[in-house]
Amino acid sequence: MKLTGLRALVVVTCVVALFSIVAVASLETIVSDELIPEISAAAGIALAGSYADTMTEAELEALAVNGRTIGLRTAASEALAIQYRAKTEEEIMVILKGTADPMIRAAAVEPALIYLISVTSEAEDFSLTDYLKDIAINGETHEMKLAAAKAYYFMMRGSLKAEDLEVQAVTNDSDELAYAAGEILSGFYLSFNPKTQAELEELAINGESVGMRVAGSTALATLLINSDLTTLDFETTLLSIAGTKSAEYRAAYKVALAVRYGS
Amino acid sequence: MKKLVLVMAALLVVFSASAIVMAQGYDAQPADAKIIPLGEEGTAYENQEPGVQGGTMYVAAISDPKKWNYVTSHETSTTQYCFLMLRGLVDSNPVTSALEPELAKSWDISEDNLVITFHLREGLKWSDGEPFTADDVVFSFNDLYYNEDVETDTRDILVLPDDTYPVVAKVDDYTVTVTLSMIFRPILSSIGAPILPKHALAQYVHKLNPDVPVGTFNSSWGLDTDPAELVGMGPFMVESYAPDQHVTLVRNPYYYHYDAQGTQLPYFDKYVVLTVASQDVSLLKFRNGELDALGIRATDVPILKREEAVKNMTVLVDPDVANYGTSWIGINQDIGLAEGTYENLRALYRTRDFRAAMSNLVDKQAMIDTLYNGLAVPQWSPVSYLSPFYAGRDYYGGPVTETDAVVFEYSLDKAAALLDGIGIIDRDGDGWRDYEDGTRVEMELNTNAGNTVREGVSLIVADRASKIGLKLNFVPVDFNTLVNKLFASTGEMIVLGLTGGNEPNSGANVYSSGGGLHFWHYSAADEPNELEKKIDGLLDAAVGTLDNDEAFEIYKEYQITLANDDLGLVYTVNPAFTYAFSNKVGNANISSPVATPSGNNGLTMDLCFFK
Repeated sequence: MKLTGLRALVVVTCVVALFSIVAVASLETIVSDELIPEISAAAGIALAGSYADTMTEAELEALAVNGRTIGLRTAASEALAIQYRAKTEEEIMVILKGTADPMIRAAAVEPALIYLISVTSEAEDFSLTDYLKDIAINGETHEMKLAAAKAYYFMMRGSLKAEDLEVQAVTNDSDELAYAAGEILSGFYLSFNPKTQAELEELAINGESVGMRVAGSTALATLLINSDLTTLDFETTLLSIAGTKSAEYRAAYKVALAVRYGS
Repeated sequence: MKKLVLVMAALLVVFSASAIVMAQGYDAQPADAKIIPLGEEGTAYENQEPGVQGGTMYVAAISDPKKWNYVTSHETSTTQYCFLMLRGLVDSNPVTSALEPELAKSWDISEDNLVITFHLREGLKWSDGEPFTADDVVFSFNDLYYNEDVETDTRDILVLPDDTYPVVAKVDDYTVTVTLSMIFRPILSSIGAPILPKHALAQYVHKLNPDVPVGTFNSSWGLDTDPAELVGMGPFMVESYAPDQHVTLVRNPYYYHYDAQGTQLPYFDKYVVLTVASQDVSLLKFRNGELDALGIRATDVPILKREEAVKNMTVLVDPDVANYGTSWIGINQDIGLAEGTYENLRALYRTRDFRAAMSNLVDKQAMIDTLYNGLAVPQWSPVSYLSPFYAGRDYYGGPVTETDAVVFEYSLDKAAALLDGIGIIDRDGDGWRDYEDGTRVEMELNTNAGNTVREGVSLIVADRASKIGLKLNFVPVDFNTLVNKLFASTGEMIVLGLTGGNEPNSGANVYSSGGGLHFWHYSAADEPNELEKKIDGLLDAAVGTLDNDEAFEIYKEYQITLANDDLGLVYTVNPAFTYAFSNKVGNANISSPVATPSGNNGLTMDLCFFK
């Protein structure tokens, strides 16, 4: 036990500044090219903040659906997610449960979490986690289920260990629950139950379920971001693995590249 | 948290009212400005950097303030704002926690250690442009803190063992003496209590303004006060307050801290505290980038670690450094005393073996595992784990060995045996224990709603109690409601926390029998029992020596007596230091158990800036 209480284990992750951030104009060029979907999408993620500041909700919704490339659609959807934070609970739920394009519904998933974890009921036997789990299984849309699943694991995180989540990321009552379990699990792999990069790569590629691959991919992205690899390194890798490995493995590089691009 | 070694302990809440007309500010940097040498080698601030002015820092709290009046406050939901608006003669360095000059630029101590002469910084002004002088210092102590008409806990940490107070006297406009009737080791930290503006507040003090009724000051600077009327010497002043929404503070143009480059602090233009429903909502808002810094829980670590790199934030985790402060279950031995009700429960609570049984019911390991992901340590002492006086050490400032720790192991059998021994048994076969008269033993367990860790602690305790037939009904309530229950002595059993610091005497307002926060047994102020008399004596003895080693031994006995015999508070666990901030915030790396950018001791908010 240190006595001073003044030293803390600082895990600094601000490595972005070590790399050149790609200008918006260049990103617009990259995002318009769909040769490598992950590179296009990475540029889209990096552009989201700019789009959220400069485009209307209607413009973004149109772009999210009709954008010519996955990068443009991703940029619009991610930008909508930022704008949707200002929406009311009712407005968010209408989007999540409605018939809008999945790219639009996807934008409502994260903004929904604050509302979902705050649901209350007069019913004496009401259980928030039971309520969320039920929606995660029986929700009207994939995005509604996913939001509820994420909220469910957010609320349950304190009572679950990595070994619990490793089971639930494989076998669960819905794909969305397994996916959300994998997301939470990735945080354990970066803190209480650390894994090596090789282990995470293996998991992201060959994990036995989407949930486990997501766990590996999400944690792997952090290691990639914290590495010395450059924008060019990530682009080269994505080029070389295009259409191979697994979507989750490629997603790790996509996220890391988006950070290098300056998201 | 308590303003560390400076002032009284305050009730801990993990966070949580018109435009202000500001004066112009200084024409030039005052000659006596306090210079913060950010980034200068060889100084405490060598790992920080000079910043730039501008921007609005956002943090969150789960409770609104109760008032703006520091003097009469008891809770961090209030003091967190007071510490941003006010300053004392001395303060803690946010990096080293050592005491250093604040409103006083220096001090001299007489050879007999009974007279301290404070030399005040000259040319400073209050936030409204009025000059700061020795009159404000004398007013703060003689007319506020020592004034029996004023309700304040600060008196509890200023009173000397012979029941006198340090005599504060003006020598000239910028010199003040503090004279003691006897040695009082923690005088420098105690005398660091915030200084209040005489020109703004004297009108509310009956002894200075007989036109107002006695006690008028106690309701001054309430939440209904126009923020423009609040005056301070701290880095920020309240600009607006919207209940359940936010408190917005704006830079004090007359703040007297400057960096070495001559830039006036604070760097931020505004500091906004959003009121949120729960810690979980705070976490989601931080993830969204709506907050710039956040005190996190161990269970938040996996959530944030996976986004740390992507969202350009820093997550600090130090499993070896426990936070200051204490977490406990308070058992109100005065429940129903004033009303002549709850006779059975009060008698039970006053039975030491019942409180010992409650100690055996605290499943600390389950709390550590499930609520803290292992990032916590069992707690048993009223003194902070980090304090050099912590009795888990073998000597003053030594390593923590826990050789003399008072341990009540988690044991349902032992708890049941203790209850059996005092006649609390199941008399009607319904599975619940009853009093001798056959009525069921049933009690309400409260904590502040929205604090999910305390809610978890409460649920674990209630669950374990149910396993031996003891019925605890868990009811979370609003923080300020909870505080009111404490002070009205209407809470039966409460899970809550107290701030902490290095100097145990700063908890005298809690642990002395007459302390303003002796909320589990307020009647002890009039009729202390033998144990409480002993604790009072130990507190007095520990401040009466200048020898830290001697004080350590006295405080060790004090801690063991409270933990093993008094048991008014049953301690739970002490979390490790965990914190998160956006990497766009400069100097946030100063974060430690001593001070954080969103903490409630006001020590670092003036140093942070947006990169």
